[in-house]
Amino acid sequence: MSINWVGLWTIIRREFSRIMRVPIQAFLAPWISALLFIFIFGFVVGKRFPPIGGHRYIEFVLPGVLMLNIVNAAFLQSTSQTYFQRFLRYIEETLVAPLSYIEMIVGSLAMTIVRTVITALGILAIGVAFGATTVDSVPEFLFWVVGVSVIFGLLGIIVGLWSNNFEQLTMLNVFFITPLSMVGGVFNTVNMLPGWLKWLAYANPFFYFANGVRHSMIGYSDWAEALPLGVAVTLGLSAVLLLIVWRLYAVGYGLRE
Amino acid sequence: MTTPALSISHLRKVYRGGLVAVDDLSMEIAPGDFFGFLGPNGAGKSTTIHCVTGIATVTSGTIRVFGVDAVKDYREARRLIGLSPQMFNVDPFATPRQIIDWMGGYFGMTAADRKRRTDELIERFGLRDHADKRFRELSGGLMRRVILCRALVHDPKLLILDEPTAGVDVELRRDLWRYLQELNRDGKTILLTSHYLEEVERLCKTIAIIARGQIVRQGTKDEIVREPGGLEAVYLRATGAEPDHVAAPAAGAGR
Repeated sequence: MSINWVGLWTIIRREFSRIMRVPIQAFLAPWISALLFIFIFGFVVGKRFPPIGGHRYIEFVLPGVLMLNIVNAAFLQSTSQTYFQRFLRYIEETLVAPLSYIEMIVGSLAMTIVRTVITALGILAIGVAFGATTVDSVPEFLFWVVGVSVIFGLLGIIVGLWSNNFEQLTMLNVFFITPLSMVGGVFNTVNMLPGWLKWLAYANPFFYFANGVRHSMIGYSDWAEALPLGVAVTLGLSAVLLLIVWRLYAVGYGLRE
Repeated sequence: MTTPALSISHLRKVYRGGLVAVDDLSMEIAPGDFFGFLGPNGAGKSTTIHCVTGIATVTSGTIRVFGVDAVKDYREARRLIGLSPQMFNVDPFATPRQIIDWMGGYFGMTAADRKRRTDELIERFGLRDHADKRFRELSGGLMRRVILCRALVHDPKLLILDEPTAGVDVELRRDLWRYLQELNRDGKTILLTSHYLEEVERLCKTIAIIARGQIVRQGTKDEIVREPGGLEAVYLRATGAEPDHVAAPAAGAGR
């Protein structure tokens, strides 16, 4: 059977309508947060740090801040979309419709990407306006924004399907995303870490995401091999998570009675 | 031989935790039938409907909608069905117009068709003054109308109505009855569950009674209502709610 393009577009349209009920939470909050980071790291604290690879500290930090906001936007979008649809049972509208599992997943991910791209472009525009960043490579920038969105969008779907209450929705964020992102080279170079901690950073996917986004914006990479490895980590994780989500949809986990 | 509108064969549904909700259920609904599906709460009516429509997974057995396998060819089967569920499964912050339009979109209807059909249904169900209010702001009766419009937007061949008149006023109930009879006269197959026996008796041509996950009685309405005590007595006997000697009418008593 052919792809249900209208159905796919309707999933995106509908979710966009839901997001536009909370534009401050969805878009304004990360932009204001980026503005505050620029103020603190650009004009207050940042002046005390020496340049890193020839870049001011704010130039080094802002790509990581942008990456953190993409991660949060993607994860929040897909967990809330999936969980609220289940909680209020209107997920049944799509279950009774002629939509394939892949169409449902792609529709959900597409909206996640729309939200994160708007978030990222807003932060980028603010950064450029305040002279805090540049864009070294637009295709590379888009690759990282979309790649990170897909990974955390898929993780968000899994958590949204698994959660049976609001407490469970936040668990991955509290115990996994926030700690790993903080030690993933957002605020410091890996070279600042002691030897044994460097290897921990290299084992942390957030390091590759932050490093990739940073390279696409200011052309600086902590470690030359980190870029191809980061691309492999991003594509590999996306593929594995997509398979898991597809399987969960196919068996109806968290969706069907 | 005519292909049944709905054919269920040896359906079994076991929920996680081991509850057997439907056990070896088989039934057929002929095209153009108005089929009443009766049973006490928890008998397995909604579970059967959920298995047919894809809200629940099927443990074993087969379901065919106009000959299309509802599990293997689920997308094709779902195009043929419109469901008005018992529980309101709606985004409460969306408006009736959005809810109907989105459902049309999920079914692949073009924007022009959705607009025409949404306007038509809003007008038909007296929702014009409420079409752009949030769903949660509507009264129970208006909510029920929205759910019906949503089920009808893609003009399904098989309409499944799970207690569509629960909580609605007499006017809407009668208006809905007229509308459903019109639809059925035009050839639409309707499966109706209801706790209002007079509703089933007035509308349906065929009746099946389910209890403890199994069909315990099935027949044409005419043959069932002709039995002593009428539909209510047959229902009570079949579901085991009342023993035969209690349900049997006193001599000379009408139905």
